[in-house]
This record gives sequence, structure tokens and C-alpha cells, in this order.
Amino acid sequence: MIPTQGKKQEDLLILLEEAQNKLGYLPEELMAELAKSLDMSISDVYGVATFYSFLSTKPQGRNVIRICKCLPCLLKNAQAIIESVERETGIKPGETAPDGKFSFELTNCIGACDEAPAMMLNNEVHVNLTPGKISQILKACK
Amino acid sequence: MPEKWIVLRNCGVIDPKRITTYLDRDGFKALKKALAEMPPEQIIEEIKVSGLRGRGGAGFPCGLKWELARKAQGDEKYVICNADEGEVGTFKDRYILERDPFTLIEAMAIAGYAIGAKRGYIYLRAEYHHLLDLLGKAISQAREKGFLDHFEIAIHEGAGSYICGEESALMESIEGKRGEVRYRPPFPPSRGLWGKPTIINNVETLMNIPQVILNGAHWFNQIGTERSKGTKVFSVSGDVKKPGVYELVLGSQLRELVMDLALAEKVKIIQVGGATGRIIPYDMIDTPLSFETILGAGAITVFDESRDIIDIVHRTIEFLAEECCGKCAPCREGTEVMAEILERFSCGEGVERDIGVLEELSNAMMLSSLCGLGQAAPNPVVDSLQYFRSAYESRIRKN
Amino acid sequence: MGEITVTINGSQLSGSEGMTILEAAQENGIDIPTLCHRPELTPIGACRICVVEVEGSRTLVGSCHTPITQGMVIYTHSPKVLETRKVIVELLLASHCGSCFMCDKANVCELRRIAADLEVGLPRFRVRKRYYPIEDVSPYIVRDLTKCILCRRCVRACNEIKKARVFGIAYRGFDSKVVVDFDQPIDKDVCQDCDVCISFCPTGALSRVKKLGEEKKGKALVISS
Repeated sequence: MIPTQGKKQEDLLILLEEAQNKLGYLPEELMAELAKSLDMSISDVYGVATFYSFLSTKPQGRNVIRICKCLPCLLKNAQAIIESVERETGIKPGETAPDGKFSFELTNCIGACDEAPAMMLNNEVHVNLTPGKISQILKACK
Repeated sequence: MPEKWIVLRNCGVIDPKRITTYLDRDGFKALKKALAEMPPEQIIEEIKVSGLRGRGGAGFPCGLKWELARKAQGDEKYVICNADEGEVGTFKDRYILERDPFTLIEAMAIAGYAIGAKRGYIYLRAEYHHLLDLLGKAISQAREKGFLDHFEIAIHEGAGSYICGEESALMESIEGKRGEVRYRPPFPPSRGLWGKPTIINNVETLMNIPQVILNGAHWFNQIGTERSKGTKVFSVSGDVKKPGVYELVLGSQLRELVMDLALAEKVKIIQVGGATGRIIPYDMIDTPLSFETILGAGAITVFDESRDIIDIVHRTIEFLAEECCGKCAPCREGTEVMAEILERFSCGEGVERDIGVLEELSNAMMLSSLCGLGQAAPNPVVDSLQYFRSAYESRIRKN
Repeated sequence: MGEITVTINGSQLSGSEGMTILEAAQENGIDIPTLCHRPELTPIGACRICVVEVEGSRTLVGSCHTPITQGMVIYTHSPKVLETRKVIVELLLASHCGSCFMCDKANVCELRRIAADLEVGLPRFRVRKRYYPIEDVSPYIVRDLTKCILCRRCVRACNEIKKARVFGIAYRGFDSKVVVDFDQPIDKDVCQDCDVCISFCPTGALSRVKKLGEEKKGKALVISS
């Protein structure tokens, strides 16, 4: 699934990131394959995969919404944004929609506090959010 | 003291996509000067005399770090730029990278020459994925212009982990592993990335280097206070009218930054340095910002009179518990226990002896945790108990 | 190898270059408690039980991984050190199983011994235990991770001595866990005639599958009045 020729153990995190971007999550077969070709144990690969919050070992929606829940965003009413995402998508933080369109997570500071509240939609950062803006952004998702 | 732009001098002035606009602003002159006129030892001496200290929070003297790495034995050495700013309320490095990636590249090239490294890494947090392209293009432009003949720079993207901003966890992450911290000694300048001598500098620290080389250590040394030289870039957020990035001469007052520049009103609490930083009441707003007093990585979060201190501390500790790497016992177990106690206080369910327990826990974590995160994690608890003790006392459950 | 002079608890002692504080102390008959450390394994400095006070250091330092340096002044049992060790043990107990009276490890449990030595009893905080089902699928080994204190001795022993790489650490922070493969119950053939990890486990988290007629472990517990 991911080319590993000439790759070493030190490339593991990069390979996992690549797979996450390509497949949306890290299937067990992929991790087992990586362990084999990098001469590592499966548990060590799984250990790295479960350490980082942007890597997922479970299938994710086509679009991953990450709302920042740290103080600077909370002060700017991130709670209203969280609620509007719940309304728009019908799912709660930590869940993936049954149709596979969205996964919804709360995340720690994404470094956009000057334009709070903020979120990441896949790899894009969206700032100065309002419930209206959320509705627009999510409607544009495929 | 006034605003002064050393680090931000090119931000908003140059086009971060075009190296020529950087060259028009003395770009790469410092590198040329260093390579042509200055032996590595002289560069390091210049940085040492300048008094430049690390801007990532710890404030270690930059020149000394470089000197240790220069003198360390090793067939290979590395320069790492820490662009993993994850401290809550910090966004200055993002602001800098978005607007002026070239100064950073020039600084890393100078650092490589100074310590004898041929390879450098920029460890960029996953949340800044959108900067990957801009940074990559800036590096290739510098390479095409021949500025990186002696030094290669690679970007390494993080995958969502605050602790990877801690230097030893960051190196583990570049090595493809879990971002768990290492014990020290050995320190990175003697044994760092892959066991080789390594310097790790924050984005902002490096941004100062070309100006120090061009204008000389004495020019830099005149700016700031006795032990805090130069400027500091602050990220201001929270209950202010003008959140954003400000660069001030070190030693400037917190009041100037929060009230005069960011236009805060009815301030009650200020968190300086993010989650592991200090929490102070409005009474202390005349404190100067310096390594001698309070600084951290320069995150300033302002809370007005409507905010609850216990809620602030609770959320801060929860953040730290979530982001703790889990390797050492005091931090792994301590942050979790603290979060539980604070949760009870936040809903009026505190118990009298909890306050003493919080103090003892704080003490043990500060003294025994493996890294700076665990050692500084109790700061919000300690500070709030000092300045806002009555808030805790009023949340003790009455029978 | 050069000789290094240090002062431990007021007495001048000598050690050789490269020695850790723990080794220098032990060589001179000073007992520092340890949990994650074993001389046969690479030190990791995880449990922090072995911290000591070193003059000039802002924090306490882990004695199992910090080398001695010339002129170092060390206190292994100062009030600051003892208070800190007590809190760490209290923290470990708070998330530990807590049913010592029905644990096979009984009086050979290292955590329990250290707790007794430091006079730590019931933790003062509301406990947040890690609950995991007991893993008894394997015919050779039983894992009860509710008793695990994350010292990683099993991980290192398996990697460094047996070289079987059965265990890894997964997840993060409080959720960190010693896992096998994709966090599956342990059931590996390689464990058949090994026992290395079991012998390194300081608590009752790892044990052999019980057989009849085995000899009693450790000394009998004698309670005298």
C-alpha cells in the first residue's frame, strides 16, 4: 500500500503520515506490512501509530473536523462552534458519521489563537468561525 | 520601552514566495559575511557576546549551546529548528514562517557552518501543514541561488503531539519513534539526534542570528536588560481587542503589551507562557517581561473579570494530562490526579485536604519529573493557589 | 578510567568514571530504592523513585541514569528526597490495583515493599485505576495489566535479553499501556519456555500459569507483635 523500498526504521513516522494522508487511517494490514519490511515488531509500529493524535488506527470520515478546545478558543465561544458542528453533521466529538462523510474531533491548540475560534478541516485551518461560517464550510465538503 | 522589529523586520515587507524580495532587504548578506570573513569560532564568540538566549521558553544561552556542539566529537552534527510551537496561546512562529521563511533558512545555514553540521531539520508541527509548501519552496529557492551548498535542510512534519516541542521528544520523533522524552545528561550538543552532537533552536531564536552577524554583538547587546538581550515576540490572545503578534524590547512592561497594544479591558488574570507558564493577577501587570521575571515562549492569554480561575487551571491541567508523553510516573499519574481534583473544585466539590495534596503533588512533580513539561505542569496550580487561594476555599464542599 | 570523588550524605567516596550515582551509592552500601531500573537492562529513568538531591541542581536527579562527576555533593535520603519518593509511590498506588491481600505477588512485590519502607498507605486522592481484563489466553503467561506500573522492565527484558520483541508501549500519557501486537491478549509461542519478562516484573502484572505443587515464593510473611 505504501512503497517501503530502501526505507529504514527511522522513516516509520513519515511512512505512517503518508499512509494516513493517502488512506485516511492506518489499517492493521498496513502496519503489519510496515513492521515486516522495516524489521520491527508490530507492537512497536502500533506504539508509534497510537502516540500521535493526527494518526488514526480506525477508519475516519472523508473529512476530519478538528475544533480547537483550548482556552483562547473557548474564550471566543468555541462551544457554540462545537454545537453547530454537532447540529450540521449529526455527530458528537469522537464520532464518525455513518455515511463516512465526517469525523469530528476536539483538538488541542492549533496556533490560531489570534483568530479564534479556529478549526482544522483535514489539513486546512479555518479561523474566526461563526455558526454561519461552519454551515457554509461544511456544505462545501464532499 | 518601545516596539522594535529585529525578528519581524521582514514580516509584511517581503514576499515570502520570492527570494529576490528578501535579497533586497540584505538577505543572505550575513551568511556571505560569515562564510567569507568569519571562522566558526568567531561566529560563536559573536553570538555569545550578543547575549542571545533561547526563545522557546528555557532561555539557554544560544552561543554556549553552539560552542558545546562545535567542540563535541562527532563525524556528523545536526542543526534542528524547533517549529513545533504547541504551547497554548502561541502562534508567533507560525506568523514568522508565513511571512519570512528566508531569514530562518539563512540562520540555519549560518548555524550549520558554525557548529560544523552539514544537515539541518525543521520540525514543523502537523497543525502547520499549510506552511509545508511555502517552506519547501523557500528552501529550494535558497538552494538554487547557491546559498545552501554547504548545508542541506529537510522539513520533518509532526503528527499531533505537544510534547514533541520538548527537545528530546522532538529528536525521538525525527528518529521515527514515539515522542517520548529522554533523560539528560547527555544533552543534545554532545549526544542528540541519532546520538550525534545536535543544536536545537526555536524559530525565533534563529531569526535573530543574521542581524547579530551583520550588526555585531555589541549592537544587539545594547538592547534589553542586564540578562535579557534583544527583543521578544509575543502572541497575545484571549480577552483583548487586538489579539496578534507583537515584538517588544525585553524588559518592556506587561501593561504596555496587554493594555496599550492589545487593548485589553477589565483584566483579571493573565497567563504568561501558555499551559506550563505562569498565572498572575491584574495587580502584577507592571511586571517587566524578561528572563529575570516572567517570559516563557511569549504566549500571553488575557482573561477578563467574567472568567473563573478554577476553570482556567482545570482546563490547563487537562491539556497537559492529554499531552503528557506517559513515560515518567510523576507527570503521567500526577497530571491525571490533579485534573480530577480540579474538576471537583470547578463544580464546588472540593475537599479541605485537597489543597494540601495539590501543593505536595506540585512539589513532587516539579522536583522529579523527567522533562520540562512535567516539571512545569504544576505552575498554574501553584500560581493560582498563591494568588487566588480564596477561589479554591470557596469551592470546598460544605456539609 | 579515572577516579572520581563525590560526597554522598556527608561522606567522601570514590567511584570510577562513567559510574552512575546509583552504582556509586550501592558500591558503598547506600540503598536507593528503584523500580524501573535493573542493572541488566538499559536505564530509562521512568519511575523517578531513585531521585536524589544533588547540590547545584534545580530539580532532583534520577540516580539510575545520571553519571557521577568530580566533586558532586549528593543526598540520597534528605527530607526533600523522601517526600518526593513518597508522593510518587502514592501516585503509583492510586492507579494500581490495590488488592494486595489477594495478589500472588504478595510479599515479593517491589512496589509494596517500597511503599512499606516509605510508610505510604492508602493514597489521599480519589483513585483513578486502570482496569484491564486479565489476559489468560496463553498457556505460558498470565498478564494482569491492572497491576502494571509501566516500568517497562518486561519490554526491555524481552527486547534486550530474549530478543523476542513481544512487547511495545502504545497510546500516550495516562493511557500508555504495554501492548502485544495491536493491543491483543498475549499468546505467543516464543513465550513457551522463557519466563524472562515474568522474572523482571516488579508487581503481579506478569505471572506464570499456575501449576499444582509449586514451591512458595520468597520468605514466609511473619507477623510479630
